[in-house]
Amino acid sequence: MNLIVDILRAAIPAGTPLLLGTLGEIYVERSGILNLGVEGIMIMGAVTAFGVTTLTSNVWLGIFASTITGGMMALIHAFDCVTLKANQTLSGLALTMLGSGLSGLIGKRYIGMPLSSKLQNVPLKGLVNIPVIGPVLFDQDPLVYISYILAFLFWFFLFNTRFGITLRSVGESPEVADSAGINIPAIQYFAVFLGGIMSGLGGAYLSVAYAPVWIEGMTAGTGWIVLAITIFSLWRPERAILGSYLFGGVRVLQYRLQPLGISPNILNMMPFVFTILVLMIASREISKKRIGAPASLGVSYQREKTL
Amino acid sequence: MKGKFLVTLSLLLALLLLLNLPYCIGAEKKLRVAFIYVGPIGDYGWSYAHEVARQYLIKKLPWIEVLPPAEAVPESDAVRFIDRFVKEEKADVIFTTSFGYMDATVEASKKYPDRIFFHCSGYERNKNLGTYFAELYQIYYLNGLMAGALTKTNKVGYVAAHPTPEVIRHINAFALGVYEVNPKATVDVRWLFSWYDPSKARMAAESLISDGCDALAFTEDSPTVITVGEEYTKKGKQIYTFSHYSPMQRYGPNTCVSGQLVHWEAIYKDILEKIRKGVYKNTNLEDVDYWWLLKEKAVELGGEVGVPVNPKFVPALKEKKITDQAFGRINVYDLVMKRLAQMKSNPEKFDPFTGPIKDQSGKVRIETGRRATHDELWTMDWFVPNVIAKIPK
Repeated sequence: MNLIVDILRAAIPAGTPLLLGTLGEIYVERSGILNLGVEGIMIMGAVTAFGVTTLTSNVWLGIFASTITGGMMALIHAFDCVTLKANQTLSGLALTMLGSGLSGLIGKRYIGMPLSSKLQNVPLKGLVNIPVIGPVLFDQDPLVYISYILAFLFWFFLFNTRFGITLRSVGESPEVADSAGINIPAIQYFAVFLGGIMSGLGGAYLSVAYAPVWIEGMTAGTGWIVLAITIFSLWRPERAILGSYLFGGVRVLQYRLQPLGISPNILNMMPFVFTILVLMIASREISKKRIGAPASLGVSYQREKTL
Repeated sequence: MKGKFLVTLSLLLALLLLLNLPYCIGAEKKLRVAFIYVGPIGDYGWSYAHEVARQYLIKKLPWIEVLPPAEAVPESDAVRFIDRFVKEEKADVIFTTSFGYMDATVEASKKYPDRIFFHCSGYERNKNLGTYFAELYQIYYLNGLMAGALTKTNKVGYVAAHPTPEVIRHINAFALGVYEVNPKATVDVRWLFSWYDPSKARMAAESLISDGCDALAFTEDSPTVITVGEEYTKKGKQIYTFSHYSPMQRYGPNTCVSGQLVHWEAIYKDILEKIRKGVYKNTNLEDVDYWWLLKEKAVELGGEVGVPVNPKFVPALKEKKITDQAFGRINVYDLVMKRLAQMKSNPEKFDPFTGPIKDQSGKVRIETGRRATHDELWTMDWFVPNVIAKIPK
């Protein structure tokens, strides 16, 4: 029992950067834009958060700055895809390369430097005493609590507001949305910007909370896992919660299972096997429920010239 | 007439010689030195340590020209970078700093016989290719002594990168130290299968802590294990950690007891000075293999340069007393310092890998009184009995 609580408790922080990134990417893809630059935005978020926290000794300023950086990075992608109607895959990949190179350059001076003020765990009084759920969910750091709230808000806005309908219709059928008078570029710019903020936040979580150091390439593929979870979640924020923590759990579990004598080589494959499995389940559901990717995902919308 | 001409000519020649004299004597041609790193400089581990040494060379050896390094070079791509350094940058000496560069370096040494190559952590040499390595097992043993003395749960943990002979040797040295002061304590291991991954290191460290380990050493290039230790210590659960490779005590002043530091500059300086003096040439490096330890000052005990043991933990180490064959009744702090002094001044007197040493199955690997040979250390693929993990195949 204790072991299970322990694993679940470790799964939450391990899944938090994934959750933050996935929530953002869901909105981006719901608007019809594919952003493969998540990894690059995350690493820029990580270095910004670390740098600004070091400069100001205020971890919240660092986190805030990372969202700005993330948003700005994403705007480059929005400009490419929405305004220039460039190839979205290429633009995203370029963003990832840009992010990994630039963050290495900016981060040179922060190597070997401890973080002056890191995010501490804050157990929520009262709630933390609930058996199992208490220690698992409510003995975490503030950014984790914020991610709970954000997950709820992302779900609520997507399915219960006019804005949500607008966003979804842009991704599903931009022609229809356009003829209904929706300003498609504005919606897409906003969604991509929001996605960038969330990815930046995910990166910040890594460098000021999860492993409070700056090291080149420290996201180590987190951004790519975000893209997989986005598909697994069928572009639904509530499933993103499940997917992110499941993934966090699998990653944590592989080290807990090592002493049981299971070969670490096999355990190391777990996250990847899990990714494949998850994508298989997702694609099955997509075909069964006839729901899935926004219909115009990855296709730049161009208004047809009226004759 | 003819005589006058000869005098003028010889005067002119003398003048010319005089004018050129500073060039002939003063301006010795600067040795051009190149480095190839496997990781980004910013890893704060392996490649960073080589970069620190390179910076030292730039400052301290004015008679060499240190070229900008090639970083994050994939092992399969080394040939291209060596070619570039030789042909375009006219490097005289090239250091390739990863085991995986071995084949490429051997090939290059044959292709460019007029250049000098040094390969880090390899074993193949050539007339113009030497090898070098800074070895840490003595220090891991000293860290083990401290971990064994400090653990309250009698469970010590090790976050390990890959199951290579080097890592296995370090885990064994660490475990031998633990056993010497605390025969009841066990050493558990988690494998990351990654030299560098902060997230994985955190999960592995937390997994060891939840299994009851309260002292952690590691082989991974980031200070993550230290920061995890600091986090738990601040929450009221004292964890003892040992820094790895770069100074990491700054990441956890309340958890980091000691650690291992490397000084590649000691080796680089020696190699380059010998090349300058003409001791090393492109014809006589077949047997030049640096295997430098504490005595040669290529490695240091501590979590910060000049701090062998975090002062915070000195009282606790002094409190724990054991009976040692050589020193009698002694506290662990003094034991660490005496062993350190021995290995620094006279490694012949003491080595952690001195028999009798058995493996996990009880088989005697090093007989009583015998010392492990360089080859045995270099190819180690077994664990000592108090390590409770297995080596993955």
